[in-house]
Amino acid sequence: MKVQRTGPVLVFLVLTVLAVMASLALGDALLPPRDIFAALIGRGDDLARTVLWDIRLPRTLVGLAVGAGLGASGAVMQAYFRNPLASPGLLGVSSGGALGAVAALALGGGALSLFTVPLASILGAFLATGAVMLMARRGASPEHLLLGGVALNALFGAATSFLVAVSAAHMQATGQIIFWLMGGIENRTWEHVWMALPLVVISCGLLLPMGQSMNLLALGESGAQSLGVDVKRLRWQLVVLSTVLTALATAVGGVVGFVGLVVPHLVRMIFGPDHRRLLPLSMLGGAILVLVCDLPTRFLPAGMRLGVVTSLVGGPFLLWLLRKRPC
Amino acid sequence: MLSAQGISVGTRLREMDFRAEPGEHIAILGPNGAGKSTLLNALAGLLPTKGHVAWNGQDLAKIPFLQRGRMLSWLGQESHAEFAFPVRDVVAQGRHAWGDDFAGVDEAMATLDITHLAQRPITQLSGGERRRVFLARALATSAPIQLWDEPASSLDVRHALEVYRLAQQLAAKGSTLLVSLHDIRAAYRFSRVLVLESGCLVGDGPPHDVLTAKLIRDVFRVEASFVTSLVPELPAD
Repeated sequence: MKVQRTGPVLVFLVLTVLAVMASLALGDALLPPRDIFAALIGRGDDLARTVLWDIRLPRTLVGLAVGAGLGASGAVMQAYFRNPLASPGLLGVSSGGALGAVAALALGGGALSLFTVPLASILGAFLATGAVMLMARRGASPEHLLLGGVALNALFGAATSFLVAVSAAHMQATGQIIFWLMGGIENRTWEHVWMALPLVVISCGLLLPMGQSMNLLALGESGAQSLGVDVKRLRWQLVVLSTVLTALATAVGGVVGFVGLVVPHLVRMIFGPDHRRLLPLSMLGGAILVLVCDLPTRFLPAGMRLGVVTSLVGGPFLLWLLRKRPC
Repeated sequence: MLSAQGISVGTRLREMDFRAEPGEHIAILGPNGAGKSTLLNALAGLLPTKGHVAWNGQDLAKIPFLQRGRMLSWLGQESHAEFAFPVRDVVAQGRHAWGDDFAGVDEAMATLDITHLAQRPITQLSGGERRRVFLARALATSAPIQLWDEPASSLDVRHALEVYRLAQQLAAKGSTLLVSLHDIRAAYRFSRVLVLESGCLVGDGPPHDVLTAKLIRDVFRVEASFVTSLVPELPAD
């Protein structure tokens, strides 16, 4: 079936390119577009090349991966649970990631190497993913999974709080933990990029052809199955891809709230609920929101972390949309 | 053709044998909890079911999902929607198993009298309108076997009569229709009636033979008397 999506997707692609350019250009050292292109192809002065290749490009690519991953994961969760208020954190994957990272930080792992924390976070997130998949594999209903997620979230949340409390004596660790829990993509390196971006791209690529099946699922499982969807398989694929995306995003970006909840919601309010459009637009929209919200964190006081800015920007925007038309 | 041999679903459906030929339109009656929806779900392959179900002589378990979508269409009892899909997109979902072509979508909407709602979000419709949208989706599949679970619930009298007539017309064209009902009187519009009680088949045959005062008293625990009364009919046109 033809769905009008080229127009909006093109617009979002252009906006993404603009956001990428802004992310590469802005910071303590301002790089005009000409310097960016020169540095990208290995020309220009050393400083510009170093700033671009060692700092801005990894940061931007990680931002793309985090934003696209959370946007897509949110859209999937909302279709899966047939609830526009579902979010990537619902099944406990991001709190698993958070626990992993906090545990590493509390044990002083932050000082060992740059990757201890993301690796610990990936470990935590995939442990949670594994628990979710075990539940899903046993044929649990969405309601069952949801309650399982509530339990996992409570469990991981309690463990995280405990670790924060016992590490309160070590001011440095506490600061790092709080920073990490607010999410951010500064000081990222190419290793972070390789850790997240390829799998995010692959997962998003696998999700895109599932749009129409998700449309059918969103109007009821039995109906979808009777119309030719292998619902059991689809649900399994959706849970796996969505949790993997959340795990990767959390591992390299920390807990960036609101993106996965609000981006698909905004896209749906403007462009309608068709997942053949909603999925690509949520991926691009998430990337745009994260990149744009990362910009002020470069100039504002250190407390204005990425997760804080995304909520500060997304919240009022959602309220404004709600005022215009009731959903 | 639709056949079931010794199908059971827990205690809700017990060891039932059943067979429906092309051209039959069959009403399923029974009190709440008798197993009407369970039977339809089991026949549609939507429930783990013991026993053997075959569509057109093919073992259901061996039919790939996409092909199932072309052979049988199932309308569930509930028709709520959380996402604001436009009506026409919902009806077009009926073509999923056919590669999402639009064949017969507009005709199905015209048949169910929802053409004027085509662009309206389904979340903004009344219960009866939404029911007709999901019926149109089932119809758009052009599947030769149609299972409808209480299609007329929440429909006004005219649209309910149109649904019964539609079932009759589809059967006349060679489809197999299975329709669960609560209105015993409406069952007389069907060629055959199945009566269920506590998961068992207690009546099967033409409505005039099956629906005796005794059976209605035994199964539904109401006294039935045959009297002349107001009978709404569609105008002959």
